[in-house]
Amino acid sequence: MSAPDSPAETMSRAIAHIIDDDVAVRDALQWLLHSRGVESRCWVAAEEFLAAAGQGLFGCCLLDVRMPGMSGIELFDRLRALGCPIPVIFLTGHGDVPMAVKALKDGAFDFIEKPYDDNALVDKVLAAFAHDDARAAKATAASHLRGRLALLTQRESEVMQQILAGKLNKVIADELQIAMRTVEVHRSHIFEKMQVRSAVELSQLLASLGGDPPA
Amino acid sequence: MEPGTPLSADRFSRWRWLWLLPRLAFALFVGGVGLLLWMSDRTDREERRATLISDVLWLEQNLRFHLARNEELLGRISRTHTGDPVAFEAFARSLFGHESGLRQLLWLDPEGMVRQAYPGTMDPSLLGDTGETVPSRQSQRLARSIGKPVYSRGYPYYTDDWQFEVHVPVSHGGNVIGIAVGIYRIRELLNDSVPWWLAERYRISVVTDGGKVLGTRSKVESTVVDEGYQVPFDPPGWDLALHAVPYHAPRPAASLLLSAALLVLASVVLWSLWILRRHVLRRQFVEEELRREHAFRKAMEDSLDTGMRARNLGGEITYVNPAFCRMVGWSAEELVGQKPPMPYWADDYLDQTLSIHDRVLAGEGPGEGFELKFKRRSGEIIDVLIHETPLMNSSGTHFGWMGSMVDITDRKRAEDQARQQHERLQSTARLVAVGEMASSIAHELNQPLAAISSYCTGAANVLRNRHGDKEVVSALDKAVEQSRRAAQVIRRIYSLTRPSDSQFEQVPLGRHIDAALVLIEPEIRKRGVQVRFSPHEQVVIDGDPVLIEQLLLNLLRNALDSMWDTPAENRIIGIDLSVSDGYAALEISDRGCGIDPAVAEKVFDPLFSTKPEGMGMGLAICRSVVENHRGRLTFSTNPEGGTICQLLIPLPKP
Repeated sequence: MSAPDSPAETMSRAIAHIIDDDVAVRDALQWLLHSRGVESRCWVAAEEFLAAAGQGLFGCCLLDVRMPGMSGIELFDRLRALGCPIPVIFLTGHGDVPMAVKALKDGAFDFIEKPYDDNALVDKVLAAFAHDDARAAKATAASHLRGRLALLTQRESEVMQQILAGKLNKVIADELQIAMRTVEVHRSHIFEKMQVRSAVELSQLLASLGGDPPA
Repeated sequence: MEPGTPLSADRFSRWRWLWLLPRLAFALFVGGVGLLLWMSDRTDREERRATLISDVLWLEQNLRFHLARNEELLGRISRTHTGDPVAFEAFARSLFGHESGLRQLLWLDPEGMVRQAYPGTMDPSLLGDTGETVPSRQSQRLARSIGKPVYSRGYPYYTDDWQFEVHVPVSHGGNVIGIAVGIYRIRELLNDSVPWWLAERYRISVVTDGGKVLGTRSKVESTVVDEGYQVPFDPPGWDLALHAVPYHAPRPAASLLLSAALLVLASVVLWSLWILRRHVLRRQFVEEELRREHAFRKAMEDSLDTGMRARNLGGEITYVNPAFCRMVGWSAEELVGQKPPMPYWADDYLDQTLSIHDRVLAGEGPGEGFELKFKRRSGEIIDVLIHETPLMNSSGTHFGWMGSMVDITDRKRAEDQARQQHERLQSTARLVAVGEMASSIAHELNQPLAAISSYCTGAANVLRNRHGDKEVVSALDKAVEQSRRAAQVIRRIYSLTRPSDSQFEQVPLGRHIDAALVLIEPEIRKRGVQVRFSPHEQVVIDGDPVLIEQLLLNLLRNALDSMWDTPAENRIIGIDLSVSDGYAALEISDRGCGIDPAVAEKVFDPLFSTKPEGMGMGLAICRSVVENHRGRLTFSTNPEGGTICQLLIPLPKP
């Protein structure tokens, strides 16, 4: 498969990354996913994939547990260490319950034993895509919000904190020792920049970001 | 034996004190006997002296008596005798005949002229005392004047004799008519008047005042030892004395014999005392030696850890040592005299014990010793190793059996433990190997089966999308079904051989390396391999201790096995344990044959081995275990020759 042309294109195209040392398994999986219209890409070794993982990856990983060199589990740990949030589905020829439990606990998307129901596997891949998509959308929204917050001036941020605390313009003016008129100007600028119409809307928007908004 | 010396010296000094008694007794005996002899000798001498004195006194008396009688006889001379020489001679002869001592008779007229003489020879040399003529004029005058017999001084006679005279005045009718002079020769006087028995015993002599000997009566020339005894011989007067000296009388034979016997007896006593003393000393020495030897043996016996037990031919206990008593818990007094069954025989093994006991007594006991179970008094069962040997006395007669007994309970327990541990290890290794084999087979089969299934499903999907031949789709579905069935079979077999689910816990790696080294220590020693283990940090991982142990054992054994052909001084295994980047890093390096690049890719494959007897599961197991712990196992070439095996296992997240 060819490399993504641009970041925007990558975002729109989810790819299933197949990492397995067995060429037959790789090929069969790609054929299976292709039969359902899912785009996939094969990697011969974990190291190879890890080298490419620096770029933004979307979709999911189908990881064989046992591989020469770096094992699937180790690759998973490395990806998480790198902060790569892509969903990982483990494929194993010999199910090991404790290993599976641990992998799932650590955030693997699923742990599937060979042989598997192939179409169910494709469904799992699609679910992982959806999950990754939702995560990506959320991440995009958050980054937009952060972009908007970044537009606020220092004074506007201070005023916004006061507004979020539910204080009236008069109280804010007193506390910041500025004219009430100035507070009103700030407030309208803030609403405009954050693309909201009320203080309630602003509060909800910032809550979706989780945690405290940057000061 | 040193400690005994002061004691024995002490004992010897006490004995020495005892030895004074016989010596003192002997000295007293000898002294007493000597005193007795001396006293008897003195008494004897005093007695002899008393006899001597009385004899001398008697002799003097006797002589005086003779002289007095001669005076009287001389006084009886008359004119009839004096007038005629023949008559005078007759008279003289009558006088000489009675052993009177007289040797010459003279008749003087009142004027002192010699009228008659018998024997008549007038020797001119016969001179009277002090140069006067014979007879002594002085004595003659004195006799005539006092009218009583007077003795003259002695004077020498030519025959080497001395003589003296007695002048007896003879009166008739109031007038002195003449004087009869009798001449005595002293030697002849002594010869005549001293009886033979006296002469036997003494040398009798007449001596003057000045000590000059005038005449001696002696029988033999014999030495005299005594000064003798002297009495004045007064009638002749003129300072003469009688001197008697006893001859050296031979001591009585009985006394001599007695003395000699006493001497001999004393020496016999002395000799026997000496012999006795020597004997006692030797005996004492031997006793001391014996005592020391006994004390030594006793100390040896008491400090022995081996239990000793002697039995007579009937099986009755005749002796037990303290170690035996300590082992079984019964005292020696309780055990000695016991007959089988003994109180310390374990109840559950009575028959076996009795049969061995009977065999030993019959002389058919196992020579190399045998193991038995005994019971302590507390009921505790102990394992003992017993050796029985026949007891022989000094003449070689077999009179019993001596058994030595060693408590081997602890040893047996340790051996059991070691065996159990070894068995556990073996079975664990077998289980892990079998599980790994099954896992490998499952993996190897599942891979193609999965591919088959995926291909078929994909093909079916494509056909369905294109509304293709339904029959083909159905056949493809069936193929998928069959591949799944095959996988089910594999899974079932795998689940049968799979080891029970491992339990993860905290595993201190350093301590497990130590434990693994201990387990293969015998082999390490046998092959003379040096192990250098330098744990840099205390590393604790999450893992299954049993699997980790298997992993370490396999890796260490591989390192050991790779160095068969390495020179002995180069057989080094380096173990390095550290922490890097969230991983526990363990490096095991050897100087062995290394890994042939041609087989490097296959080393993890199950059933692949470079060792002649290898099963080919070792590294496959290692890989599974490492995978199981989310770790990584790689090999690289040791720059110093051989292989470095690097193991990375993630540390637990804090």
